[in-house]
Amino acid sequence: MPASSGGSSRDLHPLRRRSAVIVVGLLLAAAVVVLVAMPFLREPVVADDRLDAPTDAEEQRLALVEARDRALGALKELEFDHRTGKVDDADYRELVGPLRQAAAAALRALDSPQE
Amino acid sequence: MPTRSPARLVVALAVAGVLAIFLVYTAIAGHSIPTLTPSQIQGKSGKLSIVGTVVGKLDGDSHGASGLRFQLVDPQGHSAKRVDVVYHGAAPPPLFRVGRSVVVSGRYADGRLQGTDIVTKCPSKYTSAPS
Amino acid sequence: MADLGRAALVVTFGLAVYALVAGGIAARRNERRLAASARNALYCSFASTLIAAAVLATALVRHDFTFTYVAAHTNRHLPVAYALSAFWGGQEGSLLLWLLVLTGYGALAVAMNRRLLRDLTAWVVPVFAGIATFFSFVLVAVASPFDTQTAPFDGAGLTPSLQNPYMVAHPPMLYLGYVGLSVPFAFAAGALLSGRTDERWIVATRRWTLAAWAFLGFGQLLGAHWAYVEVGWGGYYAWDPVENAALMPWLAATAFLHSVMVQERKGMLKVWNMVLVALAFELSVFGTFLTRSGVVNSIHSFSKSSIGPWFLAFVVISSIFSLALITWRLPLLKAKTKLESALSREAAFLYNNLLLVALCLTILWGVLFPIVTQLFKGETRTIGRPYYDFFLRTFGLPLLLLMGIGPLIAWRKTSLRGLARTLTWPIVAAAVTGVALVAAGAGSSSPGLIAYTFSAFVLATIVVELVRGTRATGSLWTLVSRNRRRYGGYVVHAAVVLLAIGIAGSSAYSSSVERRLALGQSMTLAGYTLTNRGVTVDPKPNVTETRAHLDVTGPWSGTISSGDNQYVNPPEPSREVGIKTDWLRGEDLYVIVDEAHPKTGLIFVQVLVKPLINLIWIAGIVFLFGAAVALWPDAREQRRLVARLAPAASA
Repeated sequence: MPASSGGSSRDLHPLRRRSAVIVVGLLLAAAVVVLVAMPFLREPVVADDRLDAPTDAEEQRLALVEARDRALGALKELEFDHRTGKVDDADYRELVGPLRQAAAAALRALDSPQE
Repeated sequence: MPTRSPARLVVALAVAGVLAIFLVYTAIAGHSIPTLTPSQIQGKSGKLSIVGTVVGKLDGDSHGASGLRFQLVDPQGHSAKRVDVVYHGAAPPPLFRVGRSVVVSGRYADGRLQGTDIVTKCPSKYTSAPS
Repeated sequence: MADLGRAALVVTFGLAVYALVAGGIAARRNERRLAASARNALYCSFASTLIAAAVLATALVRHDFTFTYVAAHTNRHLPVAYALSAFWGGQEGSLLLWLLVLTGYGALAVAMNRRLLRDLTAWVVPVFAGIATFFSFVLVAVASPFDTQTAPFDGAGLTPSLQNPYMVAHPPMLYLGYVGLSVPFAFAAGALLSGRTDERWIVATRRWTLAAWAFLGFGQLLGAHWAYVEVGWGGYYAWDPVENAALMPWLAATAFLHSVMVQERKGMLKVWNMVLVALAFELSVFGTFLTRSGVVNSIHSFSKSSIGPWFLAFVVISSIFSLALITWRLPLLKAKTKLESALSREAAFLYNNLLLVALCLTILWGVLFPIVTQLFKGETRTIGRPYYDFFLRTFGLPLLLLMGIGPLIAWRKTSLRGLARTLTWPIVAAAVTGVALVAAGAGSSSPGLIAYTFSAFVLATIVVELVRGTRATGSLWTLVSRNRRRYGGYVVHAAVVLLAIGIAGSSAYSSSVERRLALGQSMTLAGYTLTNRGVTVDPKPNVTETRAHLDVTGPWSGTISSGDNQYVNPPEPSREVGIKTDWLRGEDLYVIVDEAHPKTGLIFVQVLVKPLINLIWIAGIVFLFGAAVALWPDAREQRRLVARLAPAASA
């Protein structure tokens, strides 16, 4: 097909081209409709339509896991900073206590499930 | 243990300090110049910028003693008021020509702008209508 | 073909509206299938936008001048690469690019997180869809790239100074940045809407934010480099509103990248992070509003465009929406811990944020000032360079210093004694550097000297960190791969330091002189001697090149040429400067011949010597590398995340 024709005059019959475009367009539109309706087509009737989000119990457990990871991460970082000399001995002694307590508490809370 | 942490006070003071620097500077130093169109120039004088479309013949040379002379009109074309400009300095940017929108900065007195700086705009690419 | 493009955009609009409404209902009523349907609609909106984009791209490559847009921005002579880059060269096409990136990012971000954060993602879909609704509406109803006309014989063409690889890459890179900021925004809004205001949304969008920020930063450097070599006034940043439009969201995003670390470790600053991410997003849309609307005088555009009011309305409405959302969820955003010491990593991040946001808002004030004075005084007043330079120094230099101190402060608190110990070597290094610099003559500029000294300090702290860390873990590779975020961050800091040195050198220590040189006449500047050897005129098929040639002796010997090009199609001139980079001395010799008379050989020339300016461009490369390290996917971290948040492998 000539590259710079400046118009569609030398292409295939404009009508045929137009029809092709319309057909392609309709097919694409149909595909879109099917895709958007897919969840309902796949499961027309369903027992549980809920979003499957974490339950409250799961949420609480997640929060505890995150608290534990945060506490352990902070402890690891402090140890590393102490080892590389960023935190000196005096500062380390002062900071490590509360962090160890927090980590221990988080681990305890995870192990013993709440009521 | 103090009831209110001094750390927060320090941070609050830092915020106040930054704000103070800003306010003091803008109050003292100013550094804003009026940017006017030719129709708004009436009665003004001193350091300012004029926004306008270049019209008329381009006379002279910016490097020469009498400078580059031209006129500016309102960019929107609302008024026919023209302002004489005499520009001295480096040659104007390559896009400068009659019909272009420019901003000329300098000193305005006695109905004439002694221009020291010209800024031309890229031909507008972001208008909806084709240029 | 234009019909197909137009239809595709209408489909995108329809899908966006559906995803917005259905997605909102599904999230509100907790309905799985409807939420999945809304998600699919979002995915399909990307596909239909892609079709529209393909139509436009094809038309550009084929020089189809029945498209009004193609005729306005290309012509027959234009090489294919530049014809394609005209896609984003004008209003309508660049909006289409924005929508394409938006739907693409949205689809990908939602797809990647739909199982990990089910209820949060359910709300992210309508937020993304809302933004897409706006942009697709504008493209369908206000500024369509698919308007047609009777084809003229040839198009208007692309301004020659824009036919440049940098200008090809600059807008898409910026858009990947601007639009990328919608991802953390959408997830933040999703977090607030779903009530899941813990750190999960931050962790999920961390790499997205980092990538967007990196693109935005690098895109700006590309633009600055283009301005330096192509526009040719000797500078690279003019504090023009359109330049600031990219800088402001970048500064806000930088602040955000830092403050989220405080929320992740300490559960603090939750409200602040929400405000920051909304600010970054709003500034990115506001920035594009400034560029397009003509509401402020800028080097890019004068004329007022009809698109301005729509963008302004969107910024106002989305800002109100964000503020309302944050206010409503304020009870959920209570901090878990308090700030305990003014000398702690948390506090350091707060100071960092304070300075970055202060700089950002200062620039915003400067940009809005003409509008404000017009409204309240009836007279437009513009703020000039000195204002911006002052605040860049006043906020930037302390920020530079903080970049060195911050990483060496521990979380929760650090004693002054401990800090002094860690900082001893860097302070010594900085002091020695300072003295050496003064001896070398750098004392001529106080801000420059301070910038150099602070830079030495920061570089020393980075080296100290790397050395200590390597000693502790055994190898640099292990050190970096175990904590890519931190050490990638250090590399980025090093890039910022290089940037600071480059900016300081090229502004505080540059020299410049203007001369009128007759044929054979010489001039000197900073050790260089330049002699006018005459003017040549070289006519080529599409361009006539006029060049003045100067012989140079001094630190470097050779010939440098400068002049202008007069193009035929489109009939535009462009200034061509001569730049010679001396890598050994680290400076550029920059020659601008603004008037050349071929017959007499008389020229008017401005010569500049810009020390260390190339560090700015090198900083860009280092910046990308650092961002890449920080972005590097961590398989272990990803597995942990999945195990925690999606324990049951569901469909």
